[in-house]
Amino acid sequence: MEIKKTAIAGTLESSDVQIMLSAGSNGFEFDLESDVAKQFGDQIKETITKVLKMYDVKNAKIKVVDKGALDLVIKARAIAAVQRALDIVDAPKWEVLK
Amino acid sequence: MTERIQDIYLSNKSAKQEWMAFLKKRGIKNFAESETKLIEQTIGLFDEQDRLVATGSIANNVIKYVAVCDIGAHNKGARFNKIISEIESRLAQLNKFHYFVFTKPRYQTSFEYIGFKALAATEFGVILEKGTPNVDDYLDEIPRFDAGNKIASIVMNANPFTNGHRYLVEKAAKENDYVYVFVVKQDASLFKTAERLELVKEGTADLENVAVINGGDYMVSFVSFPAYFIKNTDKIIKYQTLLDARIFRTQIIKPLGITSRYLGNEPLSHTTDLYNEALQKELGAEIDVVIVDRLEVDKEVVSATKVREAIAEGDVNKCLKYIPSTTVAYITANLDRLQLRIKKGQRIDGN
Repeated sequence: MEIKKTAIAGTLESSDVQIMLSAGSNGFEFDLESDVAKQFGDQIKETITKVLKMYDVKNAKIKVVDKGALDLVIKARAIAAVQRALDIVDAPKWEVLK
Repeated sequence: MTERIQDIYLSNKSAKQEWMAFLKKRGIKNFAESETKLIEQTIGLFDEQDRLVATGSIANNVIKYVAVCDIGAHNKGARFNKIISEIESRLAQLNKFHYFVFTKPRYQTSFEYIGFKALAATEFGVILEKGTPNVDDYLDEIPRFDAGNKIASIVMNANPFTNGHRYLVEKAAKENDYVYVFVVKQDASLFKTAERLELVKEGTADLENVAVINGGDYMVSFVSFPAYFIKNTDKIIKYQTLLDARIFRTQIIKPLGITSRYLGNEPLSHTTDLYNEALQKELGAEIDVVIVDRLEVDKEVVSATKVREAIAEGDVNKCLKYIPSTTVAYITANLDRLQLRIKKGQRIDGN
Protein backbone atom coordinates (compact mmCIF):
# COMPACT_ATOMS: atom_id res chain seq x y z
CA MET A 1 0.00 0.00 0.00
CA GLU A 2 1.05 3.55 -0.64
CA ILE A 3 1.26 6.08 2.13
CA LYS A 4 -1.30 8.74 1.36
CA LYS A 5 -0.39 11.40 3.86
CA THR A 6 2.12 12.17 6.53
CA ALA A 7 1.06 11.01 9.97
CA ILE A 8 2.47 11.09 13.46
CA ALA A 9 1.79 9.01 16.56
CA GLY A 10 3.25 8.88 20.03
CA THR A 11 4.82 11.47 22.29
CA LEU A 12 8.27 12.57 23.39
CA GLU A 13 7.65 11.64 26.98
CA SER A 14 9.65 9.11 28.88
CA SER A 15 8.93 5.43 27.97
CA ASP A 16 7.18 6.50 24.77
CA VAL A 17 8.19 6.81 21.15
CA GLN A 18 7.19 9.32 18.50
CA ILE A 19 6.87 7.97 14.97
CA MET A 20 6.34 10.10 11.88
CA LEU A 21 5.56 8.33 8.62
CA SER A 22 5.59 9.96 5.22
CA ALA A 23 5.60 8.88 1.60
CA GLY A 24 8.87 7.58 0.24
CA SER A 25 10.11 5.93 -2.91
CA ASN A 26 13.20 4.17 -1.73
CA GLY A 27 12.23 1.35 0.60
CA PHE A 28 12.21 2.13 4.31
CA GLU A 29 14.28 5.20 5.09
CA PHE A 30 14.80 5.44 8.83
CA ASP A 31 15.89 8.45 10.79
CA LEU A 32 16.24 7.38 14.41
CA GLU A 33 16.97 9.53 17.45
CA SER A 34 17.39 7.55 20.64
CA ASP A 35 19.64 7.48 23.68
CA VAL A 36 19.84 3.74 23.26
CA ALA A 37 20.26 3.69 19.48
CA LYS A 38 23.54 1.83 19.80
CA GLN A 39 22.08 -1.05 21.78
CA PHE A 40 18.49 -1.13 20.53
CA GLY A 41 18.45 0.82 17.27
CA ASP A 42 18.20 -2.25 15.08
CA GLN A 43 15.51 -3.77 17.25
CA ILE A 44 13.41 -0.61 17.16
CA LYS A 45 13.69 -0.46 13.38
CA GLU A 46 12.82 -4.12 13.07
CA THR A 47 9.67 -3.75 15.15
CA ILE A 48 8.49 -0.85 13.00
CA THR A 49 9.49 -2.58 9.78
CA LYS A 50 7.39 -5.62 10.76
CA VAL A 51 4.32 -3.47 11.29
CA LEU A 52 4.81 -1.70 7.96
CA LYS A 53 5.13 -5.03 6.20
CA MET A 54 1.94 -6.31 7.83
CA TYR A 55 0.20 -3.39 6.18
CA ASP A 56 1.93 -4.15 2.92
CA VAL A 57 3.72 -0.78 2.91
CA LYS A 58 6.82 -0.94 0.72
CA ASN A 59 8.15 2.61 0.78
CA ALA A 60 8.19 5.08 3.63
CA LYS A 61 10.21 7.74 5.33
CA ILE A 62 10.19 6.92 9.03
CA LYS A 63 11.31 9.45 11.59
CA VAL A 64 11.56 8.00 15.07
CA VAL A 65 12.29 9.72 18.35
CA ASP A 66 12.57 7.03 21.00
CA LYS A 67 12.41 7.84 24.69
CA GLY A 68 13.04 4.35 25.97
CA ALA A 69 9.80 2.75 24.78
CA LEU A 70 9.20 -0.95 25.27
CA ASP A 71 8.74 -3.11 22.23
CA LEU A 72 4.97 -3.36 22.57
CA VAL A 73 4.71 0.41 22.87
CA ILE A 74 6.73 0.83 19.71
CA LYS A 75 4.48 -1.65 17.94
CA ALA A 76 1.34 0.13 19.12
CA ARG A 77 2.61 3.55 18.04
CA ALA A 78 3.71 2.16 14.69
CA ILE A 79 0.25 0.69 14.10
CA ALA A 80 -1.40 4.00 15.00
CA ALA A 81 0.92 5.93 12.70
CA VAL A 82 0.47 3.58 9.76
CA GLN A 83 -3.33 3.50 10.10
CA ARG A 84 -3.35 7.28 9.99
CA ALA A 85 -0.85 7.46 7.15
CA LEU A 86 -2.89 5.02 5.06
CA ASP A 87 -6.07 6.83 5.99
CA ILE A 88 -7.74 3.64 7.23
CA VAL A 89 -8.41 4.60 10.85
CA ASP A 90 -12.11 3.86 10.31
CA ALA A 91 -11.36 0.39 8.98
CA PRO A 92 -8.52 -1.08 10.98
CA LYS A 93 -6.90 -4.24 9.74
CA TRP A 94 -8.07 -6.56 12.46
CA GLU A 95 -5.95 -9.45 11.36
CA VAL A 96 -2.73 -7.56 12.11
CA LEU A 97 -3.93 -6.37 15.50
CA LYS A 98 -3.99 -9.80 17.06
CA MET B 1 1.38 14.44 40.96
CA THR B 2 -0.52 15.60 37.99
CA GLU B 3 0.51 18.34 35.71
CA ARG B 4 -1.85 19.37 33.00
CA ILE B 5 -1.62 21.13 29.71
CA GLN B 6 -4.00 23.95 28.97
CA ASP B 7 -4.47 26.56 26.34
CA ILE B 8 -3.35 30.03 27.26
CA TYR B 9 -5.49 32.67 25.63
CA LEU B 10 -3.36 35.75 25.16
CA SER B 11 -6.44 37.86 24.59
CA ASN B 12 -7.02 37.42 28.31
CA LYS B 13 -5.01 40.17 29.94
CA SER B 14 -4.09 38.50 33.21
CA ALA B 15 -3.21 35.23 31.44
CA LYS B 16 -0.96 37.16 29.10
CA GLN B 17 0.68 38.96 32.03
CA GLU B 18 1.49 35.69 33.76
CA TRP B 19 2.79 34.20 30.50
CA MET B 20 4.99 37.23 29.79
CA ALA B 21 6.38 37.30 33.30
CA PHE B 22 7.26 33.62 33.03
CA LEU B 23 9.07 34.12 29.73
CA LYS B 24 10.85 37.29 30.84
CA LYS B 25 12.26 35.46 33.83
CA ARG B 26 13.80 33.01 31.38
CA GLY B 27 15.38 35.57 29.13
CA ILE B 28 12.73 35.93 26.42
CA LYS B 29 11.91 39.59 26.32
CA ASN B 30 10.66 40.47 22.87
CA PHE B 31 6.92 40.91 22.97
CA ALA B 32 6.70 43.36 20.12
CA GLU B 33 3.28 43.43 18.49
CA SER B 34 4.87 42.32 15.22
CA GLU B 35 6.00 39.11 16.91
CA THR B 36 3.07 38.27 19.18
CA LYS B 37 0.38 38.94 16.60
CA LEU B 38 1.68 35.99 14.57
CA ILE B 39 0.93 33.55 17.39
CA GLU B 40 -1.93 31.20 16.63
CA GLN B 41 -1.88 28.99 19.71
CA THR B 42 -0.20 29.12 23.08
CA ILE B 43 -0.19 26.29 25.55
CA GLY B 44 0.98 26.06 29.12
CA LEU B 45 1.87 23.25 31.46
CA PHE B 46 0.57 23.86 34.98
CA ASP B 47 1.67 22.06 38.13
CA GLU B 48 -0.66 20.87 40.90
CA GLN B 49 -0.61 24.30 42.50
CA ASP B 50 -1.77 25.69 39.17
CA ARG B 51 1.50 27.46 38.51
CA LEU B 52 2.75 27.85 34.99
CA VAL B 53 5.87 25.67 34.61
CA ALA B 54 6.29 25.43 30.85
CA THR B 55 4.96 27.07 27.72
CA GLY B 56 5.23 27.07 23.95
CA SER B 57 3.48 28.73 21.00
CA ILE B 58 2.75 28.11 17.36
CA ALA B 59 3.06 30.76 14.67
CA ASN B 60 2.40 29.19 11.29
CA ASN B 61 5.14 26.56 10.97
CA VAL B 62 7.39 28.01 13.65
CA ILE B 63 7.49 26.99 17.30
CA LYS B 64 8.04 30.08 19.40
CA TYR B 65 8.22 31.38 22.94
CA VAL B 66 9.30 28.09 24.46
CA ALA B 67 10.32 28.25 28.10
CA VAL B 68 10.46 25.66 30.83
CA CYS B 69 11.00 25.73 34.58
CA ASP B 70 12.50 22.50 35.86
CA ILE B 71 12.08 23.25 39.58
CA GLY B 72 9.99 20.52 41.17
CA ALA B 73 9.91 18.50 37.97
CA HIS B 74 9.90 14.74 37.94
CA ASN B 75 13.09 14.66 35.99
CA LYS B 76 15.04 17.12 33.94
CA GLY B 77 13.63 17.59 30.49
CA ALA B 78 10.30 15.93 31.20
CA ARG B 79 8.32 19.16 31.03
CA PHE B 80 10.16 20.31 27.96
CA ASN B 81 9.37 17.07 26.16
CA LYS B 82 5.76 17.23 27.25
CA ILE B 83 5.27 20.75 25.94
CA ILE B 84 6.94 20.07 22.59
CA SER B 85 4.97 16.82 22.24
CA GLU B 86 1.72 18.69 22.64
CA ILE B 87 2.85 21.42 20.23
CA GLU B 88 3.75 18.79 17.65
CA SER B 89 0.46 16.98 17.96
CA ARG B 90 -1.34 20.29 17.51
CA LEU B 91 0.74 21.03 14.45
CA ALA B 92 -0.19 17.57 13.16
CA GLN B 93 -3.86 18.39 13.65
CA LEU B 94 -3.27 21.49 11.54
CA ASN B 95 -1.75 19.16 8.97
CA LYS B 96 1.70 20.62 9.53
CA PHE B 97 4.45 18.04 9.60
CA HIS B 98 7.41 20.28 8.94
CA TYR B 99 8.31 22.98 11.40
CA PHE B 100 11.09 25.18 12.67
CA VAL B 101 12.32 26.50 15.93
CA PHE B 102 14.66 29.33 16.85
CA THR B 103 16.41 29.13 20.08
CA LYS B 104 19.44 30.19 21.99
CA PRO B 105 22.57 28.14 21.38
CA ARG B 106 22.39 26.55 24.81
CA TYR B 107 19.06 24.86 24.03
CA GLN B 108 20.24 23.34 20.76
CA THR B 109 20.92 19.88 22.22
CA SER B 110 17.55 19.76 24.02
CA PHE B 111 15.85 20.09 20.66
CA GLU B 112 18.23 17.69 18.98
CA TYR B 113 17.33 15.06 21.57
CA ILE B 114 13.76 15.13 20.34
CA GLY B 115 14.52 14.86 16.67
CA PHE B 116 15.19 18.43 15.57
CA LYS B 117 18.14 19.03 13.26
CA ALA B 118 20.14 22.24 13.24
CA LEU B 119 20.18 24.09 9.93
CA ALA B 120 22.50 26.82 11.08
CA ALA B 121 23.99 28.00 14.31
CA THR B 122 25.33 31.44 15.05
CA GLU B 123 26.45 33.01 18.28
CA PHE B 124 23.05 34.73 18.56
CA GLY B 125 20.81 31.78 17.92
CA VAL B 126 20.17 28.48 16.25
CA ILE B 127 17.57 27.50 13.69
CA LEU B 128 16.43 23.89 13.73
CA GLU B 129 13.85 21.97 11.73
CA LYS B 130 11.95 18.76 12.20
CA GLY B 131 9.60 16.66 10.14
CA THR B 132 9.05 16.28 6.48
CA PRO B 133 9.78 17.47 3.80
CA ASN B 134 13.06 18.68 5.26
CA VAL B 135 16.11 20.25 3.67
CA ASP B 136 17.29 16.89 2.28
CA ASP B 137 13.93 16.33 0.61
CA TYR B 138 14.08 19.88 -0.75
CA LEU B 139 17.54 19.30 -2.22
CA ASP B 140 16.49 15.93 -3.67
CA GLU B 141 14.00 17.69 -5.94
CA ILE B 142 16.60 20.00 -7.47
CA PRO B 143 18.32 18.98 -10.72
CA ARG B 144 22.06 18.39 -10.33
CA PHE B 145 24.98 19.31 -12.51
CA ASP B 146 28.20 17.33 -12.69
CA ALA B 147 30.99 18.22 -10.32
CA GLY B 148 33.85 20.09 -11.91
CA ASN B 149 31.51 22.54 -13.60
CA LYS B 150 31.36 26.17 -12.66
CA ILE B 151 27.96 26.46 -11.04
CA ALA B 152 26.68 29.90 -10.10
CA SER B 153 23.74 30.75 -7.87
CA ILE B 154 21.48 33.77 -7.55
CA VAL B 155 18.70 34.35 -5.04
CA MET B 156 16.03 36.84 -6.07
CA ASN B 157 12.57 37.94 -5.11
CA ALA B 158 11.92 39.26 -8.64
CA ASN B 159 8.87 41.33 -7.78
CA PRO B 160 8.57 41.38 -10.78
CA PHE B 161 11.34 40.12 -13.05
CA THR B 162 13.10 43.11 -14.68
CA ASN B 163 15.85 43.66 -17.21
CA GLY B 164 18.08 44.16 -14.18
CA HIS B 165 17.44 40.59 -13.05
CA ARG B 166 17.88 39.43 -16.60
CA TYR B 167 21.22 41.24 -16.81
CA LEU B 168 22.46 39.54 -13.64
CA VAL B 169 21.34 36.07 -14.76
CA GLU B 170 22.78 36.58 -18.23
CA LYS B 171 26.14 37.62 -16.84
CA ALA B 172 26.27 34.59 -14.55
CA ALA B 173 25.17 32.31 -17.40
CA LYS B 174 27.96 33.65 -19.59
CA GLU B 175 30.65 33.32 -16.95
CA ASN B 176 29.62 29.85 -15.70
CA ASP B 177 28.63 26.42 -16.96
CA TYR B 178 25.33 26.45 -15.09
CA VAL B 179 23.28 28.85 -13.01
CA TYR B 180 20.74 28.16 -10.29
CA VAL B 181 18.25 30.97 -9.88
CA PHE B 182 16.41 30.61 -6.58
CA VAL B 183 13.20 32.56 -6.31
CA VAL B 184 12.13 33.62 -2.82
CA LYS B 185 9.17 31.53 -1.67
CA GLN B 186 7.61 33.87 0.89
CA ASP B 187 4.32 35.18 -0.41
CA ALA B 188 4.47 38.75 0.86
CA SER B 189 5.00 40.72 -2.31
CA LEU B 190 2.78 42.39 -4.87
CA PHE B 191 3.47 39.58 -7.29
CA LYS B 192 2.53 36.19 -5.87
CA THR B 193 5.15 33.48 -5.59
CA ALA B 194 3.75 31.48 -8.51
CA GLU B 195 3.72 34.62 -10.67
CA ARG B 196 7.24 35.63 -9.75
CA LEU B 197 8.52 32.11 -10.40
CA GLU B 198 6.75 31.94 -13.75
CA LEU B 199 8.03 35.34 -14.88
CA VAL B 200 11.60 34.39 -14.00
CA LYS B 201 11.19 31.13 -15.93
CA GLU B 202 9.73 32.90 -18.97
CA GLY B 203 12.30 35.67 -18.80
CA THR B 204 15.22 33.22 -18.82
CA ALA B 205 13.73 30.48 -21.01
CA ASP B 206 16.25 31.14 -23.81
CA LEU B 207 19.23 30.61 -21.49
CA GLU B 208 19.81 26.89 -21.65
CA ASN B 209 22.19 26.61 -18.73
CA VAL B 210 19.86 28.29 -16.23
CA ALA B 211 17.65 26.36 -13.79
CA VAL B 212 14.93 28.32 -11.99
CA ILE B 213 14.10 26.86 -8.59
CA ASN B 214 11.75 27.76 -5.76
CA GLY B 215 13.92 28.92 -2.85
CA GLY B 216 11.78 26.96 -0.39
CA ASP B 217 12.10 27.58 3.32
CA TYR B 218 15.82 27.92 3.07
CA MET B 219 16.54 31.15 1.22
CA VAL B 220 15.47 34.57 2.45
CA SER B 221 12.54 32.86 4.07
CA PHE B 222 10.19 34.49 6.51
CA VAL B 223 11.04 31.61 8.78
CA SER B 224 14.62 32.75 9.15
CA PHE B 225 13.56 36.26 10.15
CA PRO B 226 13.12 35.92 13.88
CA ALA B 227 13.04 39.34 15.44
CA TYR B 228 12.88 37.25 18.54
CA PHE B 229 15.89 37.50 20.76
CA ILE B 230 17.24 40.82 19.60
CA LYS B 231 15.87 44.31 19.97
CA ASN B 232 18.04 46.63 17.98
CA THR B 233 17.14 46.92 14.31
CA ASP B 234 20.62 46.79 12.86
CA LYS B 235 21.32 43.89 15.14
CA ILE B 236 18.24 42.10 13.87
CA ILE B 237 19.25 42.61 10.28
CA LYS B 238 22.74 41.38 10.98
CA TYR B 239 21.44 38.35 12.83
CA GLN B 240 18.97 37.45 10.12
CA THR B 241 21.36 37.95 7.25
CA LEU B 242 24.07 35.95 9.00
CA LEU B 243 21.62 33.12 9.60
CA ASP B 244 20.43 33.19 6.00
CA ALA B 245 24.00 33.20 4.71
CA ARG B 246 24.96 30.40 7.03
CA ILE B 247 22.05 28.17 5.99
CA PHE B 248 23.16 28.70 2.40
CA ARG B 249 26.75 27.88 3.27
CA THR B 250 26.12 24.81 5.39
CA GLN B 251 23.09 23.28 3.66
CA ILE B 252 22.95 24.37 0.04
CA ILE B 253 26.42 24.90 -1.43
CA LYS B 254 27.90 21.44 -1.14
CA PRO B 255 25.01 19.21 -2.21
CA LEU B 256 24.46 21.31 -5.33
CA GLY B 257 28.14 21.85 -6.08
CA ILE B 258 27.73 25.61 -6.18
CA THR B 259 30.94 27.51 -6.88
CA SER B 260 29.76 31.12 -6.83
CA ARG B 261 26.99 33.44 -5.79
CA TYR B 262 26.08 36.53 -7.75
CA LEU B 263 24.67 39.57 -6.01
CA GLY B 264 23.26 42.80 -7.31
CA ASN B 265 24.91 45.86 -5.90
CA GLU B 266 22.38 47.96 -4.01
CA PRO B 267 23.67 51.44 -3.22
CA LEU B 268 20.29 52.67 -1.96
CA SER B 269 19.18 50.02 0.50
CA HIS B 270 20.88 49.72 3.86
CA THR B 271 19.41 46.27 4.49
CA THR B 272 20.60 44.83 1.21
CA ASP B 273 23.96 46.40 1.84
CA LEU B 274 24.24 44.58 5.16
CA TYR B 275 22.97 41.42 3.50
CA ASN B 276 25.61 41.57 0.79
CA GLU B 277 28.21 42.21 3.46
CA ALA B 278 27.08 39.17 5.45
CA LEU B 279 27.08 36.98 2.34
CA GLN B 280 30.57 38.09 1.39
CA LYS B 281 31.87 37.41 4.86
CA GLU B 282 30.11 34.10 5.27
CA LEU B 283 30.46 32.62 1.80
CA GLY B 284 33.66 34.29 0.63
CA ALA B 285 35.95 31.61 2.02
CA GLU B 286 34.16 28.79 0.19
CA ILE B 287 32.84 30.17 -3.07
CA ASP B 288 33.28 33.25 -5.23
CA VAL B 289 30.98 36.07 -4.29
CA VAL B 290 30.49 38.26 -7.33
CA ILE B 291 28.93 41.67 -6.81
CA VAL B 292 27.56 43.06 -10.03
CA ASP B 293 26.83 46.74 -10.56
CA ARG B 294 23.21 47.41 -11.24
CA LEU B 295 22.03 47.79 -14.80
CA GLU B 296 21.24 51.35 -15.79
CA VAL B 297 18.93 52.53 -18.53
CA ASP B 298 19.14 56.21 -19.48
CA LYS B 299 21.39 56.75 -16.47
CA GLU B 300 18.76 55.38 -14.12
CA VAL B 301 19.13 52.22 -12.10
CA VAL B 302 16.68 49.52 -13.16
CA SER B 303 14.59 48.56 -10.18
CA ALA B 304 11.48 46.53 -9.56
CA THR B 305 10.26 49.23 -7.16
CA LYS B 306 9.87 51.61 -10.11
CA VAL B 307 7.89 48.99 -11.96
CA ARG B 308 5.54 48.56 -9.02
CA GLU B 309 5.12 52.32 -8.76
CA ALA B 310 4.18 52.48 -12.42
CA ILE B 311 1.60 49.75 -11.83
CA ALA B 312 0.15 51.66 -8.88
CA GLU B 313 -0.17 54.73 -11.07
CA GLY B 314 -1.66 52.66 -13.87
CA ASP B 315 0.95 53.98 -16.27
CA VAL B 316 2.73 50.90 -17.55
CA ASN B 317 4.45 52.86 -20.32
CA LYS B 318 6.60 54.47 -17.66
CA CYS B 319 8.33 51.20 -16.86
CA LEU B 320 8.52 49.53 -20.26
CA LYS B 321 12.21 50.23 -20.55
CA TYR B 322 12.87 48.32 -17.33
CA ILE B 323 11.14 45.02 -18.05
CA PRO B 324 11.41 42.25 -20.64
CA SER B 325 8.52 41.51 -23.00
CA THR B 326 7.39 38.51 -20.95
CA THR B 327 6.87 40.67 -17.87
CA VAL B 328 5.25 43.42 -19.98
CA ALA B 329 2.73 40.92 -21.33
CA TYR B 330 1.85 39.67 -17.88
CA ILE B 331 1.43 43.12 -16.36
CA THR B 332 -0.66 44.36 -19.26
CA ALA B 333 -2.97 41.36 -19.03
CA ASN B 334 -3.29 41.54 -15.25
CA LEU B 335 -3.09 45.27 -14.51
CA ASP B 336 -6.51 45.45 -12.87
CA ARG B 337 -5.76 42.53 -10.59
CA LEU B 338 -2.41 43.96 -9.55
CA GLN B 339 -3.88 47.38 -8.87
CA LEU B 340 -6.65 45.83 -6.82
CA ARG B 341 -4.02 44.18 -4.60
CA ILE B 342 -2.40 47.55 -4.02
CA LYS B 343 -5.78 49.13 -3.23
CA LYS B 344 -6.43 46.35 -0.74
CA GLY B 345 -3.30 47.34 1.13
CA GLN B 346 -0.43 45.46 -0.49
CA ARG B 347 2.68 47.53 0.12
CA ILE B 348 4.84 48.23 -2.88
CA ASP B 349 7.81 49.84 -1.21
CA GLY B 350 10.36 47.53 0.38
CA ASN B 351 10.57 44.18 -1.34
